[in-house]
Amino acid sequence: MTVVPTDQPTLICRDVWKIFGREPAHAYAALHAGTADAGRYADHMVAVRGVSFSVRRGETFVVMGLSGSGKSTLVRCLSRLTEPTHGEVQIDGRNILTMGDAELRELRRHTVSMVFQHFGLFPHRRVIDNVAYGLEVRGIGRRERQEQAERMIDLVGLTGWGNHLPRQLSGGMQQRVGLARALAVNPAILLFDEPFSALDPLIRREMQDELLRLQSSLRKTSIFITHDFAEALRLGDRIAIMRHGQLVQVGTPEELVLRPSSDYVRAFVKDAPRARVLTAGSIMIACPPSAVGTDGPRVALATKLEEALPIVAAHDGPVAVVDEALVTHGHLNRALVLHALCQA
Amino acid sequence: MAIRIPALAESQIGPRARLRLLTWTTLLIVLILSALVWPAEARRFPEGWNLGLRGPVDAFQNWTVANRASSPIFTLFFDPLRGGIDASLRLVENWLLGLSWLSVLAIIGLLGYLGTGIRLALLCVGGLLLAGLFGLWEPSMQTLALMSCAVSLSLLCGIPLGIAAGLSPPFESRLRPLLDAMQTMPAFVYLAPVLLFFGIARAPAVVATLIYALPPIIRLTSMGIRQADPSAVEAARAFGATPRQLLLRVQMPLALPEIMAGVNQTIMMSLSMVVIAAMIGAGGLGREVLVALQRLNVGQALEAGLVIVALAIILDRLSAALGRIDLAAPPETVRRDVLAGWPARAFATRQDNPARVQNLQRFARVINAVLLLAIIIAADAALFHLGSFPADWRISLRGPANAAVAWARDNLYQIGGLPIGTGPLSDTLTIYLLNPGRNLLLDWLPWPAVILAVAGAGYAAGKWGLAAICASGMLLIGLLGMWTPSMDTLSQVLIMVLISVAIAVPLGVLSSQSPATRAVLRPVLDFLQTVPAFVYLVPVIMLVNIGRVPGLIAAVLYAVPPGIKLTELGLSQVPAETVEAARSFGATRAQIMLRVQLPLALPAIMLAVNQMIMMVLAMVIIAGLVGGAGLGLEVVIGLGKNQTGRGIESGIAIVIIAIIFDRITQAWAAYRDG
Repeated sequence: MTVVPTDQPTLICRDVWKIFGREPAHAYAALHAGTADAGRYADHMVAVRGVSFSVRRGETFVVMGLSGSGKSTLVRCLSRLTEPTHGEVQIDGRNILTMGDAELRELRRHTVSMVFQHFGLFPHRRVIDNVAYGLEVRGIGRRERQEQAERMIDLVGLTGWGNHLPRQLSGGMQQRVGLARALAVNPAILLFDEPFSALDPLIRREMQDELLRLQSSLRKTSIFITHDFAEALRLGDRIAIMRHGQLVQVGTPEELVLRPSSDYVRAFVKDAPRARVLTAGSIMIACPPSAVGTDGPRVALATKLEEALPIVAAHDGPVAVVDEALVTHGHLNRALVLHALCQA
Repeated sequence: MAIRIPALAESQIGPRARLRLLTWTTLLIVLILSALVWPAEARRFPEGWNLGLRGPVDAFQNWTVANRASSPIFTLFFDPLRGGIDASLRLVENWLLGLSWLSVLAIIGLLGYLGTGIRLALLCVGGLLLAGLFGLWEPSMQTLALMSCAVSLSLLCGIPLGIAAGLSPPFESRLRPLLDAMQTMPAFVYLAPVLLFFGIARAPAVVATLIYALPPIIRLTSMGIRQADPSAVEAARAFGATPRQLLLRVQMPLALPEIMAGVNQTIMMSLSMVVIAAMIGAGGLGREVLVALQRLNVGQALEAGLVIVALAIILDRLSAALGRIDLAAPPETVRRDVLAGWPARAFATRQDNPARVQNLQRFARVINAVLLLAIIIAADAALFHLGSFPADWRISLRGPANAAVAWARDNLYQIGGLPIGTGPLSDTLTIYLLNPGRNLLLDWLPWPAVILAVAGAGYAAGKWGLAAICASGMLLIGLLGMWTPSMDTLSQVLIMVLISVAIAVPLGVLSSQSPATRAVLRPVLDFLQTVPAFVYLVPVIMLVNIGRVPGLIAAVLYAVPPGIKLTELGLSQVPAETVEAARSFGATRAQIMLRVQLPLALPAIMLAVNQMIMMVLAMVIIAGLVGGAGLGLEVVIGLGKNQTGRGIESGIAIVIIAIIFDRITQAWAAYRDG
């Protein structure tokens, strides 16, 4: 299932393949044509298999998959840290796969930056020099880049740690440095490769909150890789489920929970916190505006069930569901909410 | 030589195992039969089958000698190179000898203080004082000068080559066999060609040291570049670093610990060439040892040897410590010490540019050390004029050492007319071990049977590929015309290895179990590993007869320390949980050792055996110098009588034996490991 973007997409991925092995190009041709000699390339590893998606400006697009599903390879294809075997990756209308070395470097210096699973910090540089790294390779003068780096350090809450070495910081703090380093170049697109999976659960939660806080003001276009479905639900505007190098389903958290396309996706959404994902609009019984009395309590279409629950519980009759203009679209009742919550 | 016994490797005695048992029994019977029925006069390799390598090499040598003055290769390349090396060596030497002894002590002491503090500083100063007190100040400075030239040249060539190898795997794989050859080829073998190209003097000594010391810096630099944290390298690429930015600001700084380890290795390797370099005119401490060896003056050799040990310890600790100095550490973590304070700190407080203040504070220790040194040198030049080490400050070990050895020779050689003592021991070793070993390989087994047996060992360790390598290697030795000396050497090497293993493995086990043993052994092993073998050769020669035994003892003394250390290391790396599990089931200490620790440590112990074999092989030539005959003698004759062809043939034979032993033991260890 492919979501057709409504806004202008800033990143488009079309039929991207990555095959590891001796003759990846031949293997791709054989697999693509479905010819009989595809078996000759059995020792090749198809990490990414014809993936297409697009990401809107300001959107957080999460790719969720278990280990070995090809998600880390996919995100590396987006800035050509791994060279895709076939396909097209468009960033702001330019195909990055046809770029020369210099052009690609410019793209990495200005447009796309990345946060890594194992932080990828430079152990021999102080925190401030780590954060300023992207500006340094760009050739920006020492004073200017240190000032910008100082601002980023403040932004991620590490004020005063600039002169320390990375190894003197805890894991969560190190990843804040990684985040600051990525933000320092003011990129249009942020790539996150499982940035929080090396952290322990409490710190992970804290970092997710931090990212949500930053995103609420920065609104950066982000591609976020994770193997943790709960994390995907918390952070993603849309989620793509990846398996064996292919996208199984792409949709908003709510779409995945309500309409899983396969047993594979269903297995993930089974334990999803439905009250926090589902909205009043998606489970209401639609009815004409006049059907429900306007004097009773109302909830908005986008209200999460978590918040709608106490209102429905306190009110015996149906609860109206309204849009921003307070026009009623449908109604909720206790049975409906309870049914939606316990449906497994 | 430990070979996996195939019949026991199979857990069940099935038809396959029975077939194998049959094969090996047949092989054994064939060997015995061949020893019985083969015509006695044809048991050595046929002399007519010879590749004739000697002819062209000697012809080349003659051409070189005739054309040294006229050929452009010499006038345009080797002579200027030699001149350059000579000039820079002279420069360093004059500078070191021109400085007063106090200034040299101050330099070394300050380096030590910057490194890890006052203890290292005292160690450095004490070591150099020893050189002065033994009256060896001047030779020590000569040796230091030669070493710093050889080491600088090694780093100058080695680091760029290592970076290239680290960045390009194809280049690395092309370089590797060359490095292997440089490390296994005995230095004596390339002394002759080096002499041909550079003439006799100190330049060829620098070049020979360079050849020997170059491989570790190349290998370690390349390893450092290759193993630089991949996530940091990927991050740098992701931020758009150019290859040059990546190398200079990320890969090189990350590889720094490995590069410094390479510098340390290179220094130690070049120090171990001191005596050999003296054989082609290097002078310095090596010459002192050689002169003492010729005069059988134990005390003189011991003094020079101790100074070499002191230099080795100083340079080892210093280079290790300098690699660890963290100049980029944030100001608050810099240790507060004498050098960190005034005047650099005071100067820093008067600056108002924060970046400059920070730099001044960060490098305060270095700045202050340089200032202090400048003051000492200036004061010496203007006021004290101390010059060379005072001649009347002396301590002497010569008298007591010589007296002790003389007493030992008079009283231990044969104790009270009984067949006990070092003399009878040496005769016993010769009659009951060395002679039968040589006879077995030379006179009892015909040459095809020897090749078959070595190939069999290769097959047992690594299947047909290795068997083919072993067989063709042995055949090549025969075709080089080196069969007879090789069999002599091979029999000695096997016995040396057996004795070394018999001593090292039990001691390694003991020292892994008892901290007390370890504490006693450690300094002895460290001493044996740093003192040049030539030094302990002198008393050994005096106590046993010239012949194959002194070489055997020297080889065992040389090979046992790494054997003990590696065995102990292997045992200590057995996972503690496994040992704990065995103990929780009520196993006794002996059961844990025999059933758990030793089997698990077997691959590591096999690598220890491998190392011991390599060390023994390195002693083949030194053994040849003191009557060990075999390939060692061939090399020595080749060098001494200017027969380069003969020297190279025998050198190749040593390398072949080394490769065969190395491959067999490595394959065996890898098989057990995987």
